Amino acid sequence: MENSWNPLGYKNLYRELFKKHLDRQNELLKKNRPVGWFFSFHPSELIYIFDVVPAFPEQYSAYCAARGSSVDLIDTSISSGYGHFLCDYFKTTIGMIEAPEKATPPLMPKPDFIISSRALCVAHHEMAEVFSRYYGIPKYTVNYPYWTTDSLKNPDELTKEAEWAEEVYVEYTIERLRGLVDFLSKIAGEVDEDRFMEVFRKSEKTSELLIKILNLMMSKPTPGSQREISDLVFIAFFVLGSDYALEFCENAYEIIKERVKRKEGVSEEKYRLLTFGIVPWHSLKIYQYCESMGANFPVNLYVNASVHKADSSNPYLSMVRRSMHFTNSSYEMLDGVVKTAKKAEIDGALLLENTGCRITSMIIRPLAERLNEDLGVQSLILEAPQCDPRVMPMERAKTQIDAFLESLS
Amino acid sequence: MREPFKLFFSIFQERSKLKEYRNEGRRIFGTMCNNVPEEVIHALNAVPFRMFGNYGNTNLANSRIPSWTCNYARNVMEAGLRGDFDFLDGVVSATTDDTKIHLFSAYRFYMKPEFSYLVQFPYVRDEISERFFSKELERFAKHLSSFLSAEFDLERLSDSIKIYNKYRLLCSEFEKLRADEKPKIRADEFMALMLSSLSMLKEDFTSMAENLPEMLREHDGFSDYRLRIHLSGTDFYSLTLLRLIEESGMAVVSDDLCTSAGYFTGYVEGDGFDALAERYSGCTACVMTSSNTELSVEERLRFIRKKLRENEADAIVLLKDRGCEVCGHQCPWIVREIDAPVLVLDLDFPLSVEQYRTRMEAFVEAHGGG
Repeated sequence: MENSWNPLGYKNLYRELFKKHLDRQNELLKKNRPVGWFFSFHPSELIYIFDVVPAFPEQYSAYCAARGSSVDLIDTSISSGYGHFLCDYFKTTIGMIEAPEKATPPLMPKPDFIISSRALCVAHHEMAEVFSRYYGIPKYTVNYPYWTTDSLKNPDELTKEAEWAEEVYVEYTIERLRGLVDFLSKIAGEVDEDRFMEVFRKSEKTSELLIKILNLMMSKPTPGSQREISDLVFIAFFVLGSDYALEFCENAYEIIKERVKRKEGVSEEKYRLLTFGIVPWHSLKIYQYCESMGANFPVNLYVNASVHKADSSNPYLSMVRRSMHFTNSSYEMLDGVVKTAKKAEIDGALLLENTGCRITSMIIRPLAERLNEDLGVQSLILEAPQCDPRVMPMERAKTQIDAFLESLS
Repeated sequence: MREPFKLFFSIFQERSKLKEYRNEGRRIFGTMCNNVPEEVIHALNAVPFRMFGNYGNTNLANSRIPSWTCNYARNVMEAGLRGDFDFLDGVVSATTDDTKIHLFSAYRFYMKPEFSYLVQFPYVRDEISERFFSKELERFAKHLSSFLSAEFDLERLSDSIKIYNKYRLLCSEFEKLRADEKPKIRADEFMALMLSSLSMLKEDFTSMAENLPEMLREHDGFSDYRLRIHLSGTDFYSLTLLRLIEESGMAVVSDDLCTSAGYFTGYVEGDGFDALAERYSGCTACVMTSSNTELSVEERLRFIRKKLRENEADAIVLLKDRGCEVCGHQCPWIVREIDAPVLVLDLDFPLSVEQYRTRMEAFVEAHGGG
């Protein structure tokens, strides 16, 4: 039986945020500022410090998936010889490059440079190579470590502040990040130290608000919908350090704070579910469907992974901290996730296996096992590539969700 | 397969040498990638062993990791879950691709080995990264020696480097014999040698195999082929497919596989961790590390072109494991940019033998001359 669905109402805030982001982009393009392509977990602050035009293959692909063009783009990539089981974001972007007429406008501007990073996956590095070769443009690589229990101790699941991190790894990453600043200086002009600090101060404030919002999401009843919360990754990954991100978070925080004060939920809460996996951008209504059935999501681990506590007093360490999330760590680091799940008092988990994404897909079963062993919580695993709706027809997903919720009751 | 090669293959299949080492009290460490710097393990008097599984169906693994991941990863998981690696003292992998990283984590999670280490690759070859990588190898040595309660000795490392270089030299001898106008060694025989060398100490392999080149030189060689090919791919080790390739009229004269030339090509020049770091970040075919001014796919293309030229290969057979991300990203560039006919085989196991045979025969028909 469906009950009423009462989201936070972030829609207008997002609209305003995207408008400001695109206005900035267009203004800088008019000024012939250099265009860079970036991936999630890159230090987005540098975009604002150097006043470059950013484009994000992941975000653009998500946009194509939401607008229905990603399937054709993915097929174009496979026809060109790229593997079936690669990241959907890669295949969608290749489709945009090779068959722009099939892609949803506005297309990403052609890059003048590309930043390859491995703060999440080697796939970012692999795709940066391919894009760089297509356009014949320079690429700079920042290789963050993959954290294991012998190199990182007790990172906080949300802030990513850790008790200890291996110095050799931190130092090397910082050296590469300093190299990135030099690389960008050559392309976009010298760095202005005051601007550097100002952007990091904004980033710090924004990151604090993001963490507060995610903490408030764990309130009872769950105050917001994942249709709104999942889009926070755009802020955390791509525009952290901008004026408009800070403005968005200030407003969003006030809204959710008030909602929690009033003890108002997104729906009449029957179940509290944890979710993980890259959001299936083509079928966002899956969250609304669950929430309308009273199954709310106080925790989205994918969103949690995207945030970190930025620190303007130590910007370089702060940039390294971005990589200290559980999806970039050996599976013992699921301890932090279990702690979060316990705190949120979850009843079950909806886990999305993103076909082609080795990161999210390979950790999903161990995650389900830990939730079961430590908390007695059952999981539903759905195969759900983030840009290809053919693998997860909505009606089939709904049937599986119905059965899962039935089993929880 | 001829007699001496059968013996080598049985060492791989039966793990007979590993059993011997075990009985002698040697510690054995499984590796998940050809880029694990084995000299470090060897220098501590332990035995590095490349982990392989050989299951057509990987039912146990498929319930732990996605069924679309590469054949190599699923087989290692399957073998691990079935207890085939219970004799190992630990496992070592490298951050060379996402599958290797997460195979390492999943293996640790499910099998809980006593020791495990993930070697962090820098992806870039510049002064800072080389320095870091050298420190990383030293860190690996420290962790392993602490686990083994042994002192790490740089002189022993130097000895191990010499042993490995000698092994590499011997492999290049076999490579030349394979590339003869009348190849002296079949593809499955070559792979049998490689696989056995990954299942025993290099000094033992060298001592067992060092007379083989001399013996093979006296052989007339094979001329029952119509097309000389370079075999491109990653963690490939199916003898069935290699036989099929040769039955279809092709002779494999070179390769860039992680289990073969991608593993043994490149010497360590000098001593110590710096020399080791230089070799492992620079000499292989598939690793995603490249210089600051070049892309790794360009280095791979150069590696393939060199192999084609040196071994007079006419065409390429590209084994594109459907779950391999390296193949998935690089395959189109090899097809587009190498000036030779390329047959791309989407690889999945169990093998669809007849489908492959038809395609191979058609390829030979098209490019194999009279």
